[in-house]
Parts: sequence; structure tokens; C-alpha cells
Amino acid sequence: MVRFLLLLVLAPSLFAATITVRVRDARGRAVSDAVVYAEPEGRQLPLARRTAVMDQRNRQFKPGVLAVQVGTAVSFPNNDDVQHHVYSFSKAKKFQLPLYKGTPVNPEIFDQAGVVALGCNIHDQMSAFIVVVDTPYFAKTENGAATLDDLDAGRYTVKVWHADLGAEPRTVALKSGDSLSLTFDLGRANARP
Amino acid sequence: MPARSFQARLLYLLVAVLVALEAGTLIAVYVAGRRALERTVREELSTGARVFDHLLQMRARALSEQSRVLVGDYAFREAVATTDIDTVTSTLQNHGERVDANVVVLIDLDGTVLTDSIPKRMSGRQFPFPAMFRNAVERSGSDAATVTFNGRPYQFVIVPVLAPRPIAYVAVGFEIDRRVLADVGRVSALEASIGPRTPPADPDFTTFRHTLPTADGSKIEVLLRRSLVDARKPFAAMQLQIFILSAIVLGTAVLAAVLFARTVSHPLRVLAEGAGRIERGEYVEPIVVKREDELGHLATAFNSMQSAIAAREDQIMFQATHDALTGLPNRTLFLDRLTQGIAAAKRTGRVAGMVMMDVDRFKEINDTLGHHFGDQLLIEIGRRLTQTFPGGTVARLGGDEFAILFSDAKDVAGRVTAALNEPFVLGDVPIDVNASLGIASYPEHADDAGTLLRRADVAMYDAKKNQSGVAVYEPGRDEHSVRRLSLMMDLRQAIARDELELYFQPKVDVRTEAVLHAEALVRWNHAVHGVMRPDEFIPLAEQTGRIGLITKWVIRKAIAQCAAWRADGLDLTIAVNLSALDLFDAELPTLISGLLSEANLPADRLLLEITESAIMKDAAYAQKVLRDLKRRGMCLAIDDFGTGYSSLAHLKRLPVDELKIDKSFVLHLRERASDDYVIVRSTIELGHNMGLVVIAEGVETAESWSILKELGCDMAQGYFMSAPLPAGKFREWVRSRLR
Repeated sequence: MVRFLLLLVLAPSLFAATITVRVRDARGRAVSDAVVYAEPEGRQLPLARRTAVMDQRNRQFKPGVLAVQVGTAVSFPNNDDVQHHVYSFSKAKKFQLPLYKGTPVNPEIFDQAGVVALGCNIHDQMSAFIVVVDTPYFAKTENGAATLDDLDAGRYTVKVWHADLGAEPRTVALKSGDSLSLTFDLGRANARP
Repeated sequence: MPARSFQARLLYLLVAVLVALEAGTLIAVYVAGRRALERTVREELSTGARVFDHLLQMRARALSEQSRVLVGDYAFREAVATTDIDTVTSTLQNHGERVDANVVVLIDLDGTVLTDSIPKRMSGRQFPFPAMFRNAVERSGSDAATVTFNGRPYQFVIVPVLAPRPIAYVAVGFEIDRRVLADVGRVSALEASIGPRTPPADPDFTTFRHTLPTADGSKIEVLLRRSLVDARKPFAAMQLQIFILSAIVLGTAVLAAVLFARTVSHPLRVLAEGAGRIERGEYVEPIVVKREDELGHLATAFNSMQSAIAAREDQIMFQATHDALTGLPNRTLFLDRLTQGIAAAKRTGRVAGMVMMDVDRFKEINDTLGHHFGDQLLIEIGRRLTQTFPGGTVARLGGDEFAILFSDAKDVAGRVTAALNEPFVLGDVPIDVNASLGIASYPEHADDAGTLLRRADVAMYDAKKNQSGVAVYEPGRDEHSVRRLSLMMDLRQAIARDELELYFQPKVDVRTEAVLHAEALVRWNHAVHGVMRPDEFIPLAEQTGRIGLITKWVIRKAIAQCAAWRADGLDLTIAVNLSALDLFDAELPTLISGLLSEANLPADRLLLEITESAIMKDAAYAQKVLRDLKRRGMCLAIDDFGTGYSSLAHLKRLPVDELKIDKSFVLHLRERASDDYVIVRSTIELGHNMGLVVIAEGVETAESWSILKELGCDMAQGYFMSAPLPAGKFREWVRSRLR
């Protein structure tokens, strides 16, 4: 609903371009939980003051992959009846939330692009990624497909991130109203975040 | 104890059997133990190898866990993830020490060593065991393996550093050091060693080389060895126990054997000693074996035997020195007493003498009235003599011979005669007994008992011969006696040695001068004394009782010769002399009949000549025997007629065929007016009157021949016609006369 209202406010965006991305693995199967994002060239886009939630439920992070724009404040509510110790040693965001229950008062601000691997120090099986991208145009694949829309005309570098797989970024030039389809075939990626 | 005693042998046997048994057991135990030991050690070694592998696996697992814990440490991860390489290096060292690791290596996801705990020696290089690393990465986990690192055997564990995804890998290396090897020793009896510190070969150890599986293809050998000394210990202990047990069993058995052998051998020795005493003639001390078993019974039997032997020996001693019938001392004891008497006389200068006494006609009494009667008579004679010489020695030397030892020669003979004077009444039969006494004494006749006895014997024979009743030994009579004695000995063997030979003397019919009879006369071709005539040895044979044998021999030979001549055409009657004693041989008539029928000779071809005196000894009995012989068909003649005082009444009753005038009347028959002539003439007349054939023997001259012819004597025999001739010469003589 909010989004709809925004669309109405930003009328010129009706003429914006759309990129539909399909992500497949080496065997051609649809890959989910891949983050697809398009970085505009030569333009700095304003920080989106947004928030996101990395929930912890049933001793799992939810979602397993969370894509946010740089500057997003992510809260880590603990919905389990045990304590968690959420940490990250990733360069993009090094932090830890020592043993806690409930929702910490201050959300963590992810102000650096990169992949942040999350773990729980007392539950080794808990693992999640927060993919921090420096663009408002990002999406997570479902059933191997994601759509980036409301893109301004211009040149973009389209990238795909996946926890285990990877693919070369692609550069595309969009004109207003374009609807572009891209397919990424993922191979083994350099897993290092 | 002698080495070959029963006890010793029993012991040796028992001990030998036991030792063999024990030795067998010990050897079996030793061999089995040795095999078991070898097998056990082999198994221990192969088990040890498995144990070693297992220990390494366990250790690898433990090390993996330790390493996981190490890299799971938040601070460690934080340091690895975020801090500078030097810090990480020191962290590796620090955390490595926590788990006692020898080396800790941090490897990036590409397999390149970031840093290590020794310090950074491998930085920038590939991790030296890429296979391990690949394994770990592909499994997104860990790997553990045995490798050679820095020339030493190592166990390496690779674990990922999770944040929470693997951000790096940590390889932790642990040397397989002495402690690990010692662990092998703790769970098994083995000693394990690796590498250059391999102990030198030692015969006390059994070794086994075990190759460890490695990840880097290097060869790591573990030398496992088992101390045979230790392995043997339980076996040795068991063998020692068995040995001790064997020794105890052996000892116990030997002890038992000794005791048992003693319980057997002691009474045996007692018995043997007792038997030895019996052997030495000691019968007083009994054998004491207080046992209820067979040995006890044996001892009792020994004791019974001992007393029985003692009693029997007493009896034998008595029997050896006494006469069984009369209970008087026998010849042995008498000689003993005589010796003593002579010795005593030698000391005192007195006389020691003996009487040898022989009961006259005892054989006749015995044969006529029976042995029982004879025995009773001997007992009674002994009793009377003993009464007559109280305190003296009266002995029965054998048969009807008695001997009396005296020291006072005064009227000895008279006392003996007086003792026998009263008739002996045994049963209802009164019987007169006469005896012949021979007397000899020391110092007059002999110095020793044997000689004295013999000389008394000689004197007695003289008395008997002279019918004088008593004779004292006359010096010089001995020679004859000795010859007689040796002849008596020789006579026993004369027949066996074929020393006897028959001679034949013809009896010629006085009127026709035909040879009608041949008298068989026996000659003894004595090896020393030459040819002996019958009158030289026949009386001896009669005295010694051998006459029966000689008579039978003569009859047998004579019959055979007669039969032979008969077959040869010379039909004669053969005449044989019978002794007085022969008449008392109840079997003789039967024997003669048998011989005659055997030879197929008519009975009347045998003429038996019996002396008048022989017939007169027991006329009634002789008559009975002669009748028997006559009934059997034999001819009978009275020999030596004219010397025996026979009555006409007797003569009349005798069933004889011939009268043979004694040669003493014929030898000197010359003058027609002499006594001999009268006797011969009346005898011839008498014989003819009684219907008997009269024959004269001892015809040596033509004169006597013609007188006999004149007197009507039927037959003549003597040197005038022919001397006795051997059978062959006799045959020739007859032939020549026929010519």
C-alpha cells in the first residue's frame, strides 16, 4: 500500500525501465535466494533511510538472505525462548549482539556495501547473510526470478550474489520504459565475501 | 638295607614311575606352554597393531574434537577473521598450546598457508598435505590423517574456521610421540617404537612391523615388540607351580612308598630272620609280626612250622639214634656210647667191651609165626636184656642183632644166656630162644669202637658157626671176616655183572654107564679171588639173604640149558641144589613151574636136591613145600644124606625120589669092612627098600666105583667120571662117551 502510494506520487516513474532477471545454476535449474542488484554508473543515489528485520525464530535466522541498501538499520528480534549471540566478522559490518533476548533497543546500521555473514556464537547451525548493496535497485530471486523496476534511464551494472555461486556482472543501458530481461547462469563463485 | 632288597626295588619302581609321570607332565606343560606363548605373543602383536591403529583413530577423533573446540572459540575466530597476521600467528600459538598441538597452521580457502605457529614458516606456501585439505573442503568439515611432517610421524587434523561459513581452515599437527607409544604399552603388553629410535634386535623380544596408513604416501612403520620374558612370566609361574606340585606329589608318593615298603619289608625281614633261625636250628624264639594281614598269617604259619620242625627234629633225632621197634638205641647211638665207653676206659684203665648177639633161627620164627610175632619177640628180648643190664647200653643193631655195652666183663655171656633162658610166651605159644654171642673188648681186642664192633661180629659168627653159643674174638680172625665182608658186598653185584657161571657134572647110571642126570653147580668168576666154588660163597649168600637170587638164577639158567640140550638131542634130567632158605620162599614153586612151562620142558626133567639138614630144620614145613613141588611134577632128592640125623619116620613121609649119599662116606670107600662101606651099603638098602633111587657122589676112584656097582647103587657122580664142566665141554664129554 505504501509502495502504491509512492508510485502515485512519483508519476514520472511510470516511464521508468524494468529489468527482469532469471537466475539459473549450471544445470539450468532456477536458483532462489540470490540477490540481484543494479548499480547505476556515475551517479550517487540518495541513502534510503529504511529499516529491515533479521528475525530469529526456531534457532534460525529469518530470512536466510536479506538484501538491504547501504544505510539500512536492521533490527535482530529474538523470537526464541533461548538467548542468541549474533555476530559478524565480515568487513562490511563487524558487530556482535552478545547474549540477548527480545529485540535489542538499537538496530544495527549497515552503512557499508558488502556481504555480511551472520552467525550465532552459541548455535553453530544458525547462518544468514545480509547483502548490503549501494543501490536502491535490488531484489531476491524467488523460483529463479527477480524483477528490478522503476529504474531510471541510464547505464547500470547488474550483479548477482549468491552464497555459494557467482556470475560476472553485466552492464546494461536502459532507456525510459525499457523492459529488459537478463539471465544469469551461475557457476562456482569465489565464496569469500 | 641291601640295594636289591624288596623295599628298595619297590621304592625304585615307584619313584621311577612317578618321575616318568611327572617328567611327562612337565614336558607336556612346557611344550604346551611354549606353543601357547608363541601363539599368544603373535596374537598380542597383531592385536597390538590393530590397537595401535585404533588408538590413532581415537586420538585423531579426540584431536579433531579438541581442534573443533579450539577453532570454535569466539576469540580465535574473531582474531582469525579480523585481526592482523601477527596477532593471528600468536593466537595460533596460544590456542595450539591449549590443545598440546605441535603445530597449528591457518590455511585460506584456496589451500594457501596464511600463517602458522612455528612462526609463519610456511606462510604463502601451499599446505603440504593437499589431499587432506581437499578432503576437508569438499566435506565442508574436517579430516584427520597420519603423515610425515618435518621427518617425524604426525597426526594432522584439519578443521574449518566457521563464521559461520568456513572462512579459513586450521590444520593442527600432533606428533606421534613417546606418550602415544606409551599409551600402546598401557593398553597392551607391547612396546611400540617409531623411527630411528628402533631398539636393537633382542632375542628376548618378538617384534612386529606395522605400517601405518598415511595420507601423504610416506611410509611410517611402527615396531611393536613383546617381551618374551614378561610373556613367559605367567607360564613360568604356572610351570613353577606345577613343578612344585609335582615335587610335593613325588615327595608324598616316595614317603608313602617308603612307609608302605617298610610295612611290607619290615615283617618280611622279621620273617626272613626267623627263617634263618629255623635254618640254624634255633627253634625257641618265635617270630613276632603283630599284624592281621597275610604277613601276620605267614608269621603264624612260620611259628607253627618252627615248632613242628622242632618236634619232628626231636623225633628224627630219636629215630636216628633209636630203633623204632624196640625203642632201644640203634647202631649209631651204640657206636657213640661204645666210643665214649672206650674213652672212659682209656682214662680209668678199665675195660670196655661189647657183646654182639644174634638170635638163632629168628628168620624161621619170623617166617613161620609171622612178622608180628617176630617183632613181639624182639621187643621182649630187648626188654629182658635191658632188665639184665640196668644202666648199661643195650642196642638193637638191626634185624635180630643186639649189642650190649659192658664195662665189667664178668659173666657177661652167662647173664645174657640166663636172660634168654626162660621160654618166651607170646600169645599161647611158648618158644625157646637161643642166641649166638660174640664178645670183644678194649683194650684186648681193639682200640676203637668200629673195630671192636666188627670183631665182636666176627666172634659172633664164629659162635654161630661152631654152634657154641658164645665166642670171644680170636686175633687173626679179622682177615677172614674182612674178605667175607667184601665178598658179601661183591655178591650183591655178581649177578648183575654176569660173574656167575653154571658148571655141569654128570650122574651116570652105574649099570649101563649111561648119563642120566647133570647136576648144575654154580661158579663165581670173581674179579679178584678167581673162580670160587659154591661151598665158598653159598653159605655167605645164605647168611646175607642173597641165596634166593642165586637159586633163581641157577634154576633159570639150568632149565634153559636143559631145554637147549633137549632140542639138541641130549635128553637129560637137570639137577639143581635148593638151599634151606629156599624152602621158605613161598613163591619159588610157582616160579619154577612157570620157567618150566616157558621152556616147554617136562617137570620131571628138573631134579631139586635139598640137603637133609635143610629138611630137618623144619621138617613139617619142608614136607609141605616138598609136597607142593612134587605135585607140580618135579623130581626131588635128599642131598648129603647121612649127615642130618633124619629119622626114618620123617624120611618115610617125604615125597622124594632119590637119596644122595653124602660124599664124605664115598670119598674113602675102599675097604669092604670099613664103616663107610657099612653105611653106604645100608643106605643103599634103605633107599631101595623105600623105593628110592640111590645115588653116590664123590666117586673119585675106580675102586669106589666098583664097590658101588657091587652094592647095587643106582647112579654115581664124581671126578672118576668127570669133574663139573662148562655147558659146552659137558656136551662134548657126553658126545665122546657115546662114541
